[in-house]
Amino acid sequence: MEIKKLTRLSMLLALSVILGLLENMIPFFSGIIPGLKLGLANIVVLFVLYTFSSKDAFFLSILRVILMGLISTGLFSIRFFLSLGGALLSFVVMALSKKYTKLSVIGTSVLGSIAHSVGQILVAILLIKQGLMIYYLPWLLLFSIPTGIVVGYMSKYFIDYFEKRLKINF
Amino acid sequence: MNKQDGILIFILIILSLLGMAFFYLSEKDGPKKAVVYYEDQVVLEIDLTQKEEKTYQVEGFNGMVTIESKDGKVKVASENSPLHLCSKQGYISSSYETIVCLPNKIVVAIEANDSLDAVAK
Repeated sequence: MEIKKLTRLSMLLALSVILGLLENMIPFFSGIIPGLKLGLANIVVLFVLYTFSSKDAFFLSILRVILMGLISTGLFSIRFFLSLGGALLSFVVMALSKKYTKLSVIGTSVLGSIAHSVGQILVAILLIKQGLMIYYLPWLLLFSIPTGIVVGYMSKYFIDYFEKRLKINF
Repeated sequence: MNKQDGILIFILIILSLLGMAFFYLSEKDGPKKAVVYYEDQVVLEIDLTQKEEKTYQVEGFNGMVTIESKDGKVKVASENSPLHLCSKQGYISSSYETIVCLPNKIVVAIEANDSLDAVAK
């Protein structure tokens, strides 16, 4: 891998971890529904998906979960597996959406945000062998839509800024 | 945002509202009980027709979980977990509400109370 690209991806990875930590300090969202959050780190994943490649976005996403595990949630804790499930499903859905649909960054972000919730619920159901958590799903779906739109618009701003105004080709 | 995004968002809003409507409408009237699960095992049943406040304790994955019932509502009063999400959730009283304590592997659900002489185990 080219050194320039490696450096840029590493800085983006660090940025996504910082955004994740910052988000943990906002207790507002998880007060509405357990597990709900804005998903600021997804800005970086979307950015890498649209300006680098889906492979880079995949590794960034997984490494982010592992780093977050080391720094805040604890490796192989319940929250670690929840994040991992959410991140994996969200990545798969966003990569497919970018490749096969005509959705813009915003639509892809909304799908990613929903996939993150669904992934988390699936992992939670597997972890404690209890299907009753499905009651959270409509609420998480409904709240994932505005958070997905906000994250999508922010990602769109950064992608346009770097591609058009700075003329940087990653 | 393009046209496809708009259509997608519209469909998703309708789907989530339909999901909520389904859960609300599937609630049955009549006496209810709170069922406490540890993983998929029932560890405690609380008759919610009783008015007075009662406290129960069940063994969770991280220690004891205290559950309180009062006026047909039930809540997790205290438990040992990193974020205390389930004790912050407060009282629930409808069958489409659940309290999930993931770190303790405890789920509190509301179900219809079929047997009239159900007693807290």
